[in-house]
Amino acid sequence: MLLLPLDLLTQIQAHGAASYPLEGCGLLLGRQEDGQRMVEAVFPVPNTWPVEAEKPVRFAIAPQDMLRAELAALERGSGVIGVFHSHPDHEPVASPRDLAWAAWSGYSYLITQVVDGVPAASRSWQLRTDRSGFVEEEVIISPSPAPRAMAERE
Amino acid sequence: MPTIRIPTPLRPYAGNQSQIAVAGNTVGAALDSLTNEYPALRQHLYDGATLRSFVNVFLNQEDVRFLEGPETRLAEDDTLLIIPSIAGGTPAGGGNDRV
Repeated sequence: MLLLPLDLLTQIQAHGAASYPLEGCGLLLGRQEDGQRMVEAVFPVPNTWPVEAEKPVRFAIAPQDMLRAELAALERGSGVIGVFHSHPDHEPVASPRDLAWAAWSGYSYLITQVVDGVPAASRSWQLRTDRSGFVEEEVIISPSPAPRAMAERE
Repeated sequence: MPTIRIPTPLRPYAGNQSQIAVAGNTVGAALDSLTNEYPALRQHLYDGATLRSFVNVFLNQEDVRFLEGPETRLAEDDTLLIIPSIAGGTPAGGGNDRV
């Protein structure tokens, strides 16, 4: 289960819209307890997929950006608990590419659909421990504002 | 002893610790110490004898692949960070499968 404050979901969706028609991406910072992940901040990063023309259908997060997110989380006393990215004009369903290039199970993989530049549904996925596929996880949107949100870097 | 920070999703395989002091004066020895102490971590870090392709190890904000790899020397107060690479994409599109 992913607990996500509404204002942070709004930031994630705005990042997806701003990135359109390219895929946008970033990290979820927060805490993990008893199988629940609680998002406390979002950390947008550049889509570093190496071929510009393929960025509408591909994204990559550079290790250096992941490192910055880890250090930012460390400073906050939290951790990187998940990844978010957008699917321009496609369903927010984890794809074979998302599966092939995922990192570890235990992260939340949150995908936001963006249709004609307008954010639509967001759904979150968990990688099976044997890496055989994704299973959808419940997302609980909290109406209360997050303690803080990190500035967008791009 | 050098310290290794454990990424959040791997902490359940490492006694729920966020960082672990390990023996070893090289990156490879330190990772061996870690996975010997917590064998369940190994499958998440290694594919056979080598680190999984998406697993990166940083020492002082430098990827050890650009230092001396597993032979990179460690000081007593060094901290290693284990950092994943992540990519993906939509089901459609004709992009190449490179990362």
